[in-house]
Amino acid sequence: MALAALLTSAVSAQWLTNKTPNVPRTPDGKPNLTAPAPKMADGKPDLTGIWNPNPRFLVNLAVDLKPADVSMLPWAEAVYKERAAGLRAHEEPDANCLPQGVPKIDAAPVPWKIIQLPGQFVILYEAFTQFRQIFMDGRKLPVDPNPTWLGYSIGHWDGDALVVESNGFNGKAWIDQSGHPSTEQLRVTEKFRRKDFGHMEIEITINDPGAYTKPWTAIESPTLLVDTELLEFVCSENEQDIKHMVTKK
Amino acid sequence: MMFRRLILVSVLFAAVPAGAQWFKLPTPGIPRTADGRPNLTAPTPRGPDGKPILSGIWQMNGKYLQDIAADMKPGEVPYQPATEKLFNSRRNGAGGKNDPAARCIPGMPKLDALPYPFKILEAPGEVIMLFEGFTTFRQIFTDGRELPKDPNPAWFGYSVGKWEGDDFVVNTIGINETTWLDNAGRPHSDALHLIERFRRHDFGHMDIELTIDDPKAYTKPWTVKEDLRLIPDTELLEYVCNENNKDYEHLVSQ
Repeated sequence: MALAALLTSAVSAQWLTNKTPNVPRTPDGKPNLTAPAPKMADGKPDLTGIWNPNPRFLVNLAVDLKPADVSMLPWAEAVYKERAAGLRAHEEPDANCLPQGVPKIDAAPVPWKIIQLPGQFVILYEAFTQFRQIFMDGRKLPVDPNPTWLGYSIGHWDGDALVVESNGFNGKAWIDQSGHPSTEQLRVTEKFRRKDFGHMEIEITINDPGAYTKPWTAIESPTLLVDTELLEFVCSENEQDIKHMVTKK
Repeated sequence: MMFRRLILVSVLFAAVPAGAQWFKLPTPGIPRTADGRPNLTAPTPRGPDGKPILSGIWQMNGKYLQDIAADMKPGEVPYQPATEKLFNSRRNGAGGKNDPAARCIPGMPKLDALPYPFKILEAPGEVIMLFEGFTTFRQIFTDGRELPKDPNPAWFGYSVGKWEGDDFVVNTIGINETTWLDNAGRPHSDALHLIERFRRHDFGHMDIELTIDDPKAYTKPWTVKEDLRLIPDTELLEYVCNENNKDYEHLVSQ
């Protein structure tokens, strides 16, 4: 659905020919995406840029894992089987133009932009034109957070990795389109590592004792997009999918 | 009827428990009086380049959401005849269902005037506005790029900003013609060119002087001044319009 929406956008007018500054280029002007990862003035990695997710992880975050790596509680396994069989597609939050939640929004097939500022980072998601704030000012995660779709996020540096920890989820989001469930006990850890100029890894750990017998970890691999900008994405504008989706009951 | 949405929206807001969102964290860099309260009449903060710093969480005076011309005298809004006719057909809630916001679609310039706070962040090459309302954002490019020539119509349009003295001036075009200027239903066309002048008077107070330049809908450009106040020691909450939008079925359309 989201992909179809993207394809219907005209791409002629959104500053798509504006050159991204500070991108290393080969003599023919093409971006050199295997150049070294850039650093901020303080020596920390500079993650700034527009990143394009690998959509394999949108469909199934566990796509590279063995079945035993994702050990679900019986209720979660039952729900997952129905969702994975397509029997609950109409219940998927983003089919209803509700937020995808974390970490699914990282894998949304449309790009997102990281901006590093003093005290906080921001991720601007083309998906649903939404944002996350990641506080870098040393605050702790809230102790009794109000449940939300996108949670509360704090970050710190661990060597060259930006470690983002999030809690305060409402348990309604699906981890991926296959339907790995989540509960309000979900804690997500995302380790963002910029391997070179054009390649990032996000090591995502799902720690949700309400749905899984143990934490599990997947590694996503977004790539940098240069000389472009985020487009506007308004899910509610022309949502035509849900009436075609299957309802089990 | 025309206030219905604001009322419902206010109820929604009031229903959010306020206990857990880092509300107790003092915002750094805020001048305070001896008793620890923010001194909102302290001087405007300035960056190393001498320009005012706009960063912070701001809340607009709510009256402009209802009526963008709240401070104007009757007859001062220079409608084209067809624009006035369309406006009159929407007044007093007569077209509430036709307001995209009723279907959870935000748009400019109403986005600035929502009764929820927004946060301004100044980043290299762009100014970001994060809106609690609809949990959405605007990007205002300050890297010197020009406005697009033939923009794809969008709900928020395309924005570039520059400093003129102490004013941060934002030019926006490419807003699709279905957004409303206010809840009262003032229309605009696809020729709308918005000029926002952000002017921070002191630590806690800012104006947005908003010019509506839309020759297809109005006989001449017209300007309103909206006032905002800084909200210290808090954070944006999450707002998801589609989660529980109960208004739409009760609104009417022409």
